[in-house]
Amino acid sequence: MAELWSLIILNPVLNGLIALSGLLPREVQFGLAIIILTIVVRLILTPLTLRQLRSTKAMQDMQPKMQELQKKYARNKQKLQQETMKVYKEAGVNPIGCMWPMLVQFPVWIALYQSIMKALATTPENLLDLSRHLYSWQIISQALPLNSHFLWLDLGQPDSFFILAILVGGSMWVQQKMSTAPSTDPRQQSTSSTMQIMMPFMFGLFCLMFPSGLALYWLVSNIITIATQYFITGGWGYLKSPFPMQSGSRRMS
Amino acid sequence: MKNRILICLSILCFLVLASGGCVGGQQKPVGFSGVTAYDGILYLGSTDGKVMAVNPSARDQNLEFPSSSDGEWSYAITMLSKGISCGSSSVSVSIYGIPVMVNGLLCVGTYNGKALMMSPSARSQNSDFPQARSGEWAYPRTDDVIAPIVGSPVAIGDTIYICSSDGRVYALDATYGDERWKSEPLGGKLWITPVVEQETVYVSTFDGHIYALSTEDGSLLPWAFEAAAGFVSSPALYDDTIFVGSFDRNLYAVRIGDNEPLWTFPGGNWFWAAPVVKDGVVYAGCLDGKVYALNSKTGNKLWEFNAGSPIVSSPALTDESLVVACDSGDVYIVNIKTGIGARVKNPDDSQNVDRPTIDAHIQGSLCILDGIVYIRAQDNCLYAVDVGKVKRGWKFPLTIK
Repeated sequence: MAELWSLIILNPVLNGLIALSGLLPREVQFGLAIIILTIVVRLILTPLTLRQLRSTKAMQDMQPKMQELQKKYARNKQKLQQETMKVYKEAGVNPIGCMWPMLVQFPVWIALYQSIMKALATTPENLLDLSRHLYSWQIISQALPLNSHFLWLDLGQPDSFFILAILVGGSMWVQQKMSTAPSTDPRQQSTSSTMQIMMPFMFGLFCLMFPSGLALYWLVSNIITIATQYFITGGWGYLKSPFPMQSGSRRMS
Repeated sequence: MKNRILICLSILCFLVLASGGCVGGQQKPVGFSGVTAYDGILYLGSTDGKVMAVNPSARDQNLEFPSSSDGEWSYAITMLSKGISCGSSSVSVSIYGIPVMVNGLLCVGTYNGKALMMSPSARSQNSDFPQARSGEWAYPRTDDVIAPIVGSPVAIGDTIYICSSDGRVYALDATYGDERWKSEPLGGKLWITPVVEQETVYVSTFDGHIYALSTEDGSLLPWAFEAAAGFVSSPALYDDTIFVGSFDRNLYAVRIGDNEPLWTFPGGNWFWAAPVVKDGVVYAGCLDGKVYALNSKTGNKLWEFNAGSPIVSSPALTDESLVVACDSGDVYIVNIKTGIGARVKNPDDSQNVDRPTIDAHIQGSLCILDGIVYIRAQDNCLYAVDVGKVKRGWKFPLTIK
C-alpha cells in the first residue's frame, strides 16, 4: 500500500517539486518552488474547491430552516429526519456533497506535505530516504541538494523570528472567520468560537516546531483559500459583518 | 461537552506533535556509526548515543559487558535538549562517523556538533568527561557547538581534521583540542570524511566541487574541480586520483590538477558509500543495489555484483574477498577476482524461510579484524561474520544500561 502511494501520488509530487526547484534561481529555489507548486496544485483542484465552497454555503443558508425543523420535530426524530431530507432534496443539496471534494483533495495535501519534508532532507537518513523516491532526470540531480535558504528562513528549520507562526496563525484565523457562520444556538456558537481560536493557535505553535518550509506551505495555502473565498462567496464573508448570510446568498445565486 | 472534547483532542494533537518538536519536527537523526579496531578492541558508536569499546574475545566467551579487564567500556554522550516541550532534559546524541584512534585516545565527531577525544582508561573508570589529565577534551570546549558532524575525523600527525555541516573543515590540535584553523565555508553541508595527503586536505562538496586546502592554515589551494551536480559520497584517493560519487548517479574519477574528469561511470542510483581502491581496482557500492569493480585508470567495468538492496556502507576488503553489506541486512562475501559472491546465511533461518543475514538495516561502515568482519546494524546490535567460513557468528546487543 505504501509503495502504491509512493508510486502514484508521492513520487510525482516530490519529483515535480525538486524539478521545479531546479528551474528556479538557486538563491530562492526551494521557497519559490513551494509557493509555485502550492498555487499550481490549488489551481488544479479549483473545481473541487468551488464545489465544496458552494455546498458549504448552501448548507449554511439552510441553517435557519433546519433550526425551525429541529424545534418543530424535537420529539419525533424520524419525522425530523424525513423533513430534513425533504428540505435538502428541494434545495438540490447533498448533505455529504461538501465533504467529498475535501476528501479527494486530502491525499494531494498529504503528498505535498510529505514532499516538502522529504525534499528538505535535513538528516543523513532523510537524504538516503530521498534517494529511493527520485526519478533519474538530469534536472533533479542538478538541483540536489536543495538550497534551503529563502528570505530570512532556513526552510529545514523552524522560523526563529516567529514571523511565520504569526502569519500562519493570523491567516488561518481570517480564513475561518470568513467562512464560519454565526449560530443562534449558544452551544454551537461557543464551539465554533473555540475552534476559531484553537486552530490558529495550534498551527502557530506547529510553526515553531516544524521546518519553516512546511509553515510556508501553510501560509500560501491559507492565503489562496482566503482569496478564493473572497472572490467566490463575495467579499470578506463573516469577517466584516456578523450576519451577511442574506447578501452572501444573493451573490451566490 | 463538545467543547471539552475539542479542547482535549487539540491538546492531544499538540502533545503528539510536540514530542516530534524535540528534534525540530524532523525525522530523528539516529546515526549509523561504523566500527574501527585498535589493539584487538572494537570501537563504535551506538544508535542510542554511546561510544563503546568491545573486546571480540570477551564476546566470544559471552562475558558480562563491560568486561573492564578486557578493555571494554561504554560512555553515553548526552546533550541538553532545546525542544520547546522538552525543557532542559538531556537527550542522547547521534553518531555517524567512525571513531578514530589517535595516540591511544579515541576521537569521535557527533551530530550535535562536538568533536570529543576520549581516553579508554578514563572511560573504563566511568569518570566525568573530559578528564584533562588523561588527555581528554571536547571541541568546542564550552557548551557551544559547531554544526552537525556526519563524517569521520582524520588524524595525521598531531592534527585532527574534521568536516562539519556548516561547510567548514576544522583542524584541531590532537593533544589539547585547540583549534588550529577552520576553513571558509566551502559550499553546502560537508557530510564527508576528508582525505589528507602530502600537506593537502581534499574535500568533495554538496555543490559539486572538489577543493584542495593547505594543512598549514586551511587556505584554498589553486586547484579545484567543478562538476555539474553535487557530490554525495566521501572522496577516496588513490594514485593521485580522487574517486567520488555524485548526485547525478555517476562515480567520478578526477586526477588532481585536472579540470576534466578522468572518467565517469554511471550507476543506477547514487554512489553514497565512499569507494574502496586497491591494486588498481575501484570497488564502489551503489544505492542501486550493485557493487561495481572498475579499472581505476580507465573506468572500465571488470565485474558487477548484484546484492539486490541499496548499499549504504562502504565495502570492506580482505586479501581475496570483498565484504558487502546491504541496507536490507544481507551480507555477501564476493571474490575480488571473479565478482562471484556468496550470501552469509542467517543462523536463525528455517528450511523454508530465507531471512536476511541480519534482521536489520546495515548502514554503518564495516570493520575487518583477523578474518572476522564486524557490523553494527540499525537494530543497535554488533554482529560478527566469519569471512572464511561465510558464517554469521555472535550477536551482541549494544543497548545496555
